[in-house]
Amino acid sequence: MSDHILDLQNVTVQFGGLRAVNDVSIYIDPGEFVGIIGPNGAGKTTIFNLITGSIPPTEGKILFKGQSIAGKRSDQLCHLGISRTFQNIRLFPEMTAYENVALGLHARPQYSLIEAFVRTPAAVRTEEQSSIAVYELLDMVGLKSLALERANSLPYGLQRRLELARAMATSPELLLLDEPAAGMNEDECDDLIRTIRNIHTEMGYAIMLIEHHMNVVMELCEGSRLYVLNLGQILTAGTPQEVQGNPHVIKAYLGEKDESYV
Amino acid sequence: MGYLNTILVLGGIQVIAALGLAILTGYTGLFSMGHSVYMALGGYAAAVLYMELGVPFILALILGALFAGLCSMIIGYPTFRSQLRGDYFAIATLGFAEAVRLVLNNTYKIINGAIGYLGIPKLTSPWLVLIAMLLAFVLAHSFTKSQWGRNCLAVKQDATAAQMMGVNVLKTQMTALFVSAVYCGLAGGLLAFYMAYLTPAMFTVTKSSDLLAAVVFGGMQSLVGPAIAGFVLIALPEILRPLESWRLIMYGSLFVIIMVFRPQGLLGYYELELGRYLAPIRAAYARLGIRRKAKVDAA
Amino acid sequence: MTLFFQQLVSGISIGSVYALLAVGYALVYSVYNFTNWAFDAFMVVGAFAGFYTISLAHLPFWLATLVAIIATVLFSVAVERIAYRPLRNRNAPRLFMMISAMGANIALINIMNKAFGGAFRSFPEVTTGSFQLGGVAIGKMDLLAAVLSFAALVGLYLFLYRTKAGLGIRASAIDMTTASLMGIDNDKVAFLIFGVTGGLSAISGVFYGIKYAVYPYLGSMVTIKAMIASIIGGLGSLEGAVVASLMLGIIETMISGYASSIYRDLFSFSLLIIILLFLPNGLFGKKNADKL
Repeated sequence: MSDHILDLQNVTVQFGGLRAVNDVSIYIDPGEFVGIIGPNGAGKTTIFNLITGSIPPTEGKILFKGQSIAGKRSDQLCHLGISRTFQNIRLFPEMTAYENVALGLHARPQYSLIEAFVRTPAAVRTEEQSSIAVYELLDMVGLKSLALERANSLPYGLQRRLELARAMATSPELLLLDEPAAGMNEDECDDLIRTIRNIHTEMGYAIMLIEHHMNVVMELCEGSRLYVLNLGQILTAGTPQEVQGNPHVIKAYLGEKDESYV
Repeated sequence: MGYLNTILVLGGIQVIAALGLAILTGYTGLFSMGHSVYMALGGYAAAVLYMELGVPFILALILGALFAGLCSMIIGYPTFRSQLRGDYFAIATLGFAEAVRLVLNNTYKIINGAIGYLGIPKLTSPWLVLIAMLLAFVLAHSFTKSQWGRNCLAVKQDATAAQMMGVNVLKTQMTALFVSAVYCGLAGGLLAFYMAYLTPAMFTVTKSSDLLAAVVFGGMQSLVGPAIAGFVLIALPEILRPLESWRLIMYGSLFVIIMVFRPQGLLGYYELELGRYLAPIRAAYARLGIRRKAKVDAA
Repeated sequence: MTLFFQQLVSGISIGSVYALLAVGYALVYSVYNFTNWAFDAFMVVGAFAGFYTISLAHLPFWLATLVAIIATVLFSVAVERIAYRPLRNRNAPRLFMMISAMGANIALINIMNKAFGGAFRSFPEVTTGSFQLGGVAIGKMDLLAAVLSFAALVGLYLFLYRTKAGLGIRASAIDMTTASLMGIDNDKVAFLIFGVTGGLSAISGVFYGIKYAVYPYLGSMVTIKAMIASIIGGLGSLEGAVVASLMLGIIETMISGYASSIYRDLFSFSLLIIILLFLPNGLFGKKNADKL
């Protein structure tokens, strides 16, 4: 009887002749912080897509909070507690930062369609209350003052933060972060590490992180676990130190310090 | 005077229909070149209810509109269900419009097929249209500002991301379609009781292009733009009679030109609204709200 | 029984017209992922060009078809350049491309309406009469339509699968970005694809114009049927488009012959809904997944 919040058991994904994911088993416990690293094309984002229900596994089981997620739509999984950010930022470009986060908060409208047309006092009140929650989330990522800016007018780094806030707005129990540090310089990475650590401590989510910036991964996974993927299979798993010392990993992937594999 | 009345009534009716299509295309990103079919369905239904079943006028209009909305689910559910691309919906809409027109043209019982459903009393007054138009606008505005409206925008801008943030994309699209069909159905009903007759030929692809033109010219993610454009596009041809045969050529060319140079249309992604001026006030209020919460937490 | 075979032949003939249109449509869709509404206008351009070549210039049929093809290809490529390429180059959303396509279609058709008027024109005698095959009268025109369409489709197949240019197109259909990185010229691909769809539309326009009449709106219903056939066959699949088109043409003609033409059009639409409900990716289609 395991109490992993997420349990991938011998999962395989086959696209025609290509085995994008080959007999992979990964788990994460509630509140844990787990990293996934590996060269490009190793299947990392595919795994995230499996977890969010965007693609079905060809073989294997995926359990979330003990229940199989097979056949569930992505929005249903979101309401069960899974949320994510994307490798290529996928904000709603013409909506403001406020609206992006608000959407995460209330993807399931709190009032009926009729009330959407006829603004009852009750509907207005719920909007005002959620407004407070939205500003709190924006504050957590440092975007409160930019709440009314269009998402596509924000600089890159802030867009990543906004995506984080939006993902948090869905009140997840499991948060999937797909290369949040992509395109960032050292200072921005340090900021990001601090922000993510903060979120993890304050909100207590289980967090799964895909990342190429080695220092980001190693720092955030300090005291926790790391999976290394290569060519759709798990090469090894362990603490950051164990992984760094593993000759196979070094051979397949880790080049010089702090350089992403290209 | 009567001439002006006609423009006001027809213009107002077009505004109502354009608002409906704006919600579907401008806000939810779904392309439809067949929305005049919902005007037809709403119009014929309202007329039949009134003439054959003695349903009171306003109730007949409302029921006709709802009927049009229900009919929209015939295409809505199959095309949105499997998260297929917008092309499926667009093609199915065209097919549906043709199929309905075919049925209407060939049903001689009661509605008299291609010859036309005659003898509908002229119950639509300019005042009724004005009230209906204002009501339609206020309700639509309320909808677009609501959580339902926000879901529509999200689905338009990135349906996959929206779904992963918990939006039920199917439900959102079907709702937008339903609402747009109801609006067009109401417009059709008002039209029926103004023209005093109905023929399927009143609801061709040309009418649908008029509606789409209102949305494209007026602007995506805007209600005011399509409303103004919808009205102008009825009034203008009346004034520019000699250019009538060029009208569709101009529309078509403008579609291309606007998409290439300014796809967001007249008003862009901005809605002309008081909201923009109230925003700083709203923000201040929210900040007050947070400060108040902090005080409560401290206490 | 003779009625059955006659309907069958007529059905195959109409199915061939659908097939040419559907394949052209599917080709554009498979590479560019959007609906080229303007192929309606292309068909009409072909019909008018063929018609005037015969009736005014009194040139033979085969030459008229050639002229039709050339004229249509010119328009087709021009539309691609003006209405699609600018949008494609900045990754415009599908909605915008559809609006632009519809705009091009409306503009072209109404220009022709203005230029030539909406009157129905009959093609001058091309070839009439029929063969007698075992008591069944097979219209010569129907036969010609079917044979020529078949030839065009075989030619297309050979082009796509046996030539280097065709390989480039197929690669672009799978992944345009990678294909261009491999050295395939996107502009040439666009020219070829729209040339092909233009040519196919022209041929179908000529045959459809001969069978029925030539007028600016001749394409509207047919192209809807062709798109429906494409969906039934599986959007983006060329084989699916051909198979479904023939199927649709045959069944439609049967219904029209044994029942009435109203039911014929209702049938196509109902079939579309049924397929969407139970087999959304069509007979041969792949799942349209979004890349994450």
